[in-house]
Formats: sequence, C-alpha cells, structure tokens
Amino acid sequence: MRVIVRTVSELCITIGTLIVLFVAYVLFWTGVKADSAMDRQVDRLQERWSKGTVKQSPAPGSPAAPANTKPGPYKDGEPFALMYIPRLGFTWNKPVLEGTKVNTLKKGLGHYANTARLGRKGNFAVAGHRRTYGDPFKDFPKLRAGDAVVLTDGVTWFTYRIDKGPYKTLPTDIEVIDPVPRKSGYTRPGRYLTLTTCEPEWGHSHRLIVWAHLDATQPVEEGKPEALRR
Amino acid sequence: MYGWIWRHLPGNAWVKALISLALALLVVYVLFQYVFPWAEPLLPFNDVTVNDQ
Repeated sequence: MRVIVRTVSELCITIGTLIVLFVAYVLFWTGVKADSAMDRQVDRLQERWSKGTVKQSPAPGSPAAPANTKPGPYKDGEPFALMYIPRLGFTWNKPVLEGTKVNTLKKGLGHYANTARLGRKGNFAVAGHRRTYGDPFKDFPKLRAGDAVVLTDGVTWFTYRIDKGPYKTLPTDIEVIDPVPRKSGYTRPGRYLTLTTCEPEWGHSHRLIVWAHLDATQPVEEGKPEALRR
Repeated sequence: MYGWIWRHLPGNAWVKALISLALALLVVYVLFQYVFPWAEPLLPFNDVTVNDQ
C-alpha cells in the first residue's frame, strides 16, 4: 500500500515538473533559440550584402521575365530581406525568409512562396509568429492604417504603408494573400504587402491580417528611408 | 521509483547526490533538445499562415 502511494505521488511530482519545464521551454527557451537564429540570419544577410552578391534582376539572356510574380531566385528557407516596423518598436527588425514551413518560421518571418517578390507587382505576403519563437508579431494588433512597414533587400529600401488592418479572418481564408486581396479594399492590381499572424494570441482559431501598399522606394546608398529616421 | 534509483547508485551519499544531479541535468537536456522540439509543433502556436502550409 505504501509503495503504491509513494509511486503515485512520485509520478505526480514528475509530471508536474515536466509540465513546468515544458512551459519554460515554450515561453522562454524558444525565444532564446529564435533570437540567436534570427541574429544568424541577419548576419548572413549583412555578409552577403557587403560582398555585393545580391542579384537584383536575372542576368541578361536568362529566361525569367522581369514582370512575372513567380518566386525567382529566392531559395527556400534562405533569408533575402530585412523588415522594419517602427510601430512595433524602433529597434524592431526581423529577417524575412523564403517559405512558410514550420522550421523556416523558427528563424524569422516567412514569405509565402507563391506570392509576389518584394517590391514587385502583386502581393508580397509574409507570415510570422505572434507568440513563441521570439514573439515577432506580439504587438500585431497595434498596427494602424498609415503605419510604415519598411523592407530592404540590400539594394533598395521599400516603404509600404498600411491601409487596412488588423483584420480578423479564418485560417482557410486564403484569398487574403491574393494578388488583389478583395477584402482589403484594393480594386486594381498594384504592389501590395500582406502580413499574417495567429489570433488569438495563444490560439489558432483565427488569423490577423494587415494590408499595405508600396509607398516609396529608394536605393540603400541614399540612407535610411524617412520612416526609419528618428 | 526515486528511492529505487537512489539505492542502486554506487558510492556514498555525496557520490550518489552528484550522480543524481548529473542524471537530472541529462534528462532536462534530452527534454529540451529532443522531446520538447518534437512536442511543441503539436500545439497551436505554429499556425500563423492562411494556407496551412
């Protein structure tokens, strides 16, 4: 009898410890891992850009047409841009990686592989974690129309302005990342940006969306765009 | 169960305590490195896309 009671209580303590450890892992350790992973991606981008190996347009004679919206030389799981959103914090910047696989989203924001390239005609759609893995989009509901979303690919600064959001929708609502997302109010083809994350904060029943349009571009030689200056 | 482990560890109480600590750390390491990364995607925090890719 005593052995049974002892074993059961030991099991309960063990399970309790496991749960506490798991919570610590989800809340804290995924953030630590994601921060270092994101830093690594940013370092890789800076290194690549400093070497000047960014290919902005396909070499002459290559078959790819410049106006198409197919993902060009973005490599799956590789970083290709940095995103800045002043509303989420002056120092807020995250790498954008190609693809929205689970492992890719642990290292930064993910670009939907079948959507437009950065700055091109169509819809440049990006997904990010709201919670866990560095909480990149934790303050997503604070985004408002007029807020800047600035991206750089090492050659050009792209300043997008948010037009609508945060808009709550269902996970099956894939038309929010259409080239001309109907519910955004856009009616004509243009250079758009869509950000998606989960809603509620710790759940997965809905998604939060914001839409933006390309407002301005400038070469990196001209320094940071207006929206990033203090 | 912990009593059983304690009785089967070699050495005196100090050695036993050290080995227990090492074992506990090993368990935590295995959990953080292998078990939790496997279990975490089963929770809903990863669903941030609209097309379930």
